[in-house]
Amino acid sequence: MKEREEENFVTPGDILGKALELKPGYGAYFSSHDKTIYASLTGFRSITPAPIDSEDQRATVEVKGHKAHGPVPEPGVVVTARVTNVMAKMASADIVCVGPKSVKEKFTGIIRQQDVRATEIDKVEMHSSFRPGDIVKALVLSLGDARAYYLSTAKNELGVVSAKSAAGATMVPLSWTEMQCPLTGQTEQRKVAKIDAV
Amino acid sequence: MEFVNPEGLRLDGRRPMEMRQLRAEIGVVSKADGSAVFEMGNTKVIAAVYGPREVQNRSQQSNDQALVRCEYSMANFSTGDRMRKPKGDRRSTEISMVIRQTMEACILTHLMPRSQIDIFVQVLQADGGTRSACINAATLALADAGIPMTDIVTSCSAGFLNGTPLLDLNYVEDSAGGPDVTVGILPKLDKVTLLQMDSKLQMETFETVMQLATEGCKAVASYIREVLLENTKQLESRRGV
Amino acid sequence: MLQSKSFVKKTKQGKVLKVVREHYLRDDIYCGAPFCKVCDVAAARLDSNASTIIIVDTNVVLHQIDLLENPAVDNVVVLSIVLEEVKNKNLAVYNRLRALCSNTLRRFFVFSNEYHKDTYVKIEPGESPNDRNDRAIRVATQWYQHHIGAAARVLLVTNDRDNKRKAIEGGIPAETVESYAKSLGQPALLDLIVQAPAEDVTMEDAEDLRPSKRKTIYAEHKPMSEITSGMHRGIYHQGKLRVNRYNPFEAYVGSESIGDEIIIYGRTNMNRAFDGDIVAVELLPQDCWKEEKSLAIANDEDDEDDDVHLAPSSADDAPRVSHPSQISIGNKSDMPTRPSGRVIGIIKRNWHTYCGSLEPMPMPAGDGGIAHALFVSKDRRVPKIRIQTRQLGNLLDKRIIVAVDSWDRLSRYPSGHYVRTIGEIGDRDTESEVVLIENDIDARPFSSQVLACLPPLPWSVSAEDIANPIRQDLRHIRVFSVDPPGCRDIDDALHCTFLPSGHFEVGVHIADVTNFLHSGTPLDDEASQRGTSVYLVERRIDMLPKPLTEDICSLRADVERLTFSVIWEMTPEAEIISTRYTKAIVKSCAALSYVEAQARMDDSRMADPLTTDLRNLNKLAKIMRQKRIERGALTLASAEVKFQIDTETHDPLDIGMYQIREANQMIEEFMLAANISVAKKILEHFPPTSLLRRHPTPTNDMLEPLIQTAASVGLSLDVTSSKALADSLDRAVGDDPFFNKLIRILATRCMSQAVYFCSGDLSPPEFYHYGLAAPVYTHFTSPIRRYADVIVHRLLAASLGICRLPDIFQDRPRLTGIADNLNYRHRNAQMASRGSVELHTLIYFRKRPTYTEARILKIRANGFIVFVPKYGIEGPVYLTSRGQKGGGEWIIDEQQQKIKKTNGEVSYGVLQPVRIHMEVVESQPNRPKLELTLVC
Repeated sequence: MKEREEENFVTPGDILGKALELKPGYGAYFSSHDKTIYASLTGFRSITPAPIDSEDQRATVEVKGHKAHGPVPEPGVVVTARVTNVMAKMASADIVCVGPKSVKEKFTGIIRQQDVRATEIDKVEMHSSFRPGDIVKALVLSLGDARAYYLSTAKNELGVVSAKSAAGATMVPLSWTEMQCPLTGQTEQRKVAKIDAV
Repeated sequence: MEFVNPEGLRLDGRRPMEMRQLRAEIGVVSKADGSAVFEMGNTKVIAAVYGPREVQNRSQQSNDQALVRCEYSMANFSTGDRMRKPKGDRRSTEISMVIRQTMEACILTHLMPRSQIDIFVQVLQADGGTRSACINAATLALADAGIPMTDIVTSCSAGFLNGTPLLDLNYVEDSAGGPDVTVGILPKLDKVTLLQMDSKLQMETFETVMQLATEGCKAVASYIREVLLENTKQLESRRGV
Repeated sequence: MLQSKSFVKKTKQGKVLKVVREHYLRDDIYCGAPFCKVCDVAAARLDSNASTIIIVDTNVVLHQIDLLENPAVDNVVVLSIVLEEVKNKNLAVYNRLRALCSNTLRRFFVFSNEYHKDTYVKIEPGESPNDRNDRAIRVATQWYQHHIGAAARVLLVTNDRDNKRKAIEGGIPAETVESYAKSLGQPALLDLIVQAPAEDVTMEDAEDLRPSKRKTIYAEHKPMSEITSGMHRGIYHQGKLRVNRYNPFEAYVGSESIGDEIIIYGRTNMNRAFDGDIVAVELLPQDCWKEEKSLAIANDEDDEDDDVHLAPSSADDAPRVSHPSQISIGNKSDMPTRPSGRVIGIIKRNWHTYCGSLEPMPMPAGDGGIAHALFVSKDRRVPKIRIQTRQLGNLLDKRIIVAVDSWDRLSRYPSGHYVRTIGEIGDRDTESEVVLIENDIDARPFSSQVLACLPPLPWSVSAEDIANPIRQDLRHIRVFSVDPPGCRDIDDALHCTFLPSGHFEVGVHIADVTNFLHSGTPLDDEASQRGTSVYLVERRIDMLPKPLTEDICSLRADVERLTFSVIWEMTPEAEIISTRYTKAIVKSCAALSYVEAQARMDDSRMADPLTTDLRNLNKLAKIMRQKRIERGALTLASAEVKFQIDTETHDPLDIGMYQIREANQMIEEFMLAANISVAKKILEHFPPTSLLRRHPTPTNDMLEPLIQTAASVGLSLDVTSSKALADSLDRAVGDDPFFNKLIRILATRCMSQAVYFCSGDLSPPEFYHYGLAAPVYTHFTSPIRRYADVIVHRLLAASLGICRLPDIFQDRPRLTGIADNLNYRHRNAQMASRGSVELHTLIYFRKRPTYTEARILKIRANGFIVFVPKYGIEGPVYLTSRGQKGGGEWIIDEQQQKIKKTNGEVSYGVLQPVRIHMEVVESQPNRPKLELTLVC
């Protein structure tokens, strides 16, 4: 095991293979003047064979094992965010987790009025959907503009996951529009996510 | 003054082709994305790398590649006499620029557009060869930060005193006023990214000295590789893989 | 294995600095014994069947280096710690030790104990550095014992009682130097051993055997800390002591802090300082400042007196005269005073070995015992030295070499020890050798390594040389040389072609020595050390081996030779139109002597092409000379003397002044022109690293004596510029045919020597050569006998792109060092020549007492100094007998520079002709001297 590790241990500049046989993946790059694939990160080499139906039958070589970067939100990935600001037409949130992994540095996302829910999107009241401090699960729509990712909660399982009431207690979800405070019994309006009971 | 005595020993007991003792440690600054401490003999340098991260100065942002910034400074206590102005003087500015250009040549900047990579290098103890130690430390820190590079950069210096080429000059030998050649190479690709010299040398002698410095760089490269292997194995074992 | 050495150091400014250094310990340092089974014996130096290997202590090396140099002492291991300590304490001894270690014939091995992992010793807290070094020596000796095992005995030689005791306690055999020397069984060795200074006190004065007379003669030297603080406060002054060669009881210390020179009178005030020592001086109170005492020729208690010597050719050789400065109004005393002082401490000693002989003394009763004798050095500036020897009878009539060890306060004379014998006194070869040793001239035959660098003989110009594109083929040109008769090392030749354009092409062809002499070879190193050929009366000590000087490089007639040539195109008015430099091949058609060349030019019947060329050159030379004189070049007279030597006995047959003819001047003119052209060229290409020659302008102070003397005979000299001086000298003509020559000789004594220097060290105005009135000058035309010319050849070749410049020219400090060495060697060669001439003068006059004419040069209180034009000698003539203090019946008139009899009958003035008698007397056995007496 150890020997295999040492054999496969690469540092930037190590040759991984010829471009005829391999495709460069994460942590590898292709050098055009001698048609070879070199490593660009430190770690262990791993080769994943190409999917059978793809044109290019070359296997992909990657360099893994190094302390990975924090995950970065990609379009189509479900992220967990904390709402920071709620305005008339949109709410801004700090993305805290990407999928199951927490991020190394914060990313900003915004949920536009039209992305809060799937139905009646023009009649959405931002204040009835989110409040600052709520934890929401959202889907990344796109990389957005220079300032923030565009997020959407327009699905059943997306929306507020956890929120604190005016009194300060964690509220209990009642329906996809309401949550109740256990202490005072008051209900507040949120766009609530439907979490499947295990 | 006799720098190489007739028995073939230098002032500190090394032979002309021997380097000083190397020591490196990775991950010393926990807040930074990557960091390393590199020692060549009594010269001790610490490097920290931040990035890739958002560009702070929007005007300098580049749409197709990352911005590499470098800052070199010497601690007040690094030399024998306490220094008055550790940063901002001409020598520091020059070395910062040199390190920046050297590292930029090997980082795959096109993979990280609109972001910036900061390299901070500080000399804790100066005993000759600080430039080389800084480049070696920066390389280690960049590798620790996981920034993609075409190859690691290693650097070493060599000189020519008493008619003999000497590898890895320390402060006493450097101050002798003889020529000092600093070479930075990409060892696997066998390319030179940095070549500096002060004083004068005849062409043939220069070739010999540069050859010697290049071999020193290769020795540093194999040491750096070992250190990276050790470090990665440790990380793996901590993560339980 | 990396250790860290840290220590605290004090810088010159007084700051305290902590120094941390790495110290690597190695496992590849070998013991140097060829019979060792463990170590790599490739570098072994010790004897394979050595019975004892000795390890020496630092003090043993420092004090007993003469003993170590004796071949009887062998199989010595020198530890690197001992080497370093010696280097820090005494560089001269260190160099000698290094020479011993690298000498393949001697079995000395350097063991780097400081870097060996087993013998490295770390300093313990509270241990002094000296103790630590001693411990390191003991540890290394012990290591050697274990390592060598039974193969040989390892012995530590030390005179330090503590070290010896600790060594024996640790199981290491240790002995003192004396017991080791005795064990070698050669009694002569014991003479070389230096006694420790403490024992000096018990030694009796060689002259005065009464113990009660032993008193403190000299003041104690102040400790260094007091001297430094005194210098800071300005009460003490530092400077180099220069003893007056003609009056050893008078010395000068040049002090920057005072701006003038401090005079030190008398042995007591000199306080055991030697000529060349760096001393600290305290000024005496002003009322003790002595007046001009040097008016009297020194006849102090020890009867050291003026000698007859050659007329000096520059201010450096002339006796120091403190001239009377302007008498200011209101100054009470008649005689002006100069700051006087006394030596209170010696900062750096300049002791080395001295040549001379023992003072005659009766043989002590009993023999085989140690006798104390006084050694008198040939160099008058050195005091007598007391030595002990077992071979007194043997040494009394020999010239010997002695080294100085110490000078105690209670001892009148310094103590030294005998080093070696040169030969019998009076024997011409011995005396010649003494002259050479005194002037640090190496006359040993060239080593085989050096001779191996020569091209194989017989040598001739090869096809390769002819085909070489950088070399011009000038064999068709009518080239000839003019040199002294019997000259075999011909380094220059000329040609003069009349061009169709009406101009002349004049070429100076110099032997291409650098074609055979390559930088970095043993031949080049040897030549660089020698610096110049030395011309003694009866022989010449060559800088390069004879095959090179007399055959391969020499531009002899009718053979093809390689040259480096300077070719000018000039108008008939000697205006240079163009200059070119090239390497060439020439074939000289004639090697003439000056007499022959002159005869040809003068004989109007001869009209062959060669004579025509000579006459053309002569015409051009005269015009060039005139131009130089108009620019201000000086024509100084030298009192050079030539000897005619008997070919069999090598005794001098005749002695006469050197005759300068037109032919000499012609050659000289073109050589000067070549030197100036080359100087300009190399300076243009290598501004920071050219080797040039300059002549400093004499200061008014230096010219004072000349002006005074001239004024006393009614002649006023204008010294505002060299041209003004040259004109004044030309106008100085009197009835006496020698008058002009005398004035010129006096003028020569005021000038300093011309010196070589590196162009990067001075600014362009300082390049000026006063005597030749040339803004830049160098030596190019004699590479066979001067190393400076070799360097200039290399510079010129590099400037033309022919060859690459050797590495040393990049290094300005090294070039300055080389220039300094050349100046040193040049001076020494001159002093040696003069010494040889003086020696032969003595031999010549030994059998021929002569009456002759002389001229008075200088007036003294008890006589005057005369110059004998026929023989070029200068010496004192006493009017009052020795021992009589003061002038007796003669009084001296300062203003008129005359000495008169009290009754006014007779007077003698400066430059007055007198008749004298010269003969060799031996007032002391083995000390012949030439004595001059006035004939009335």
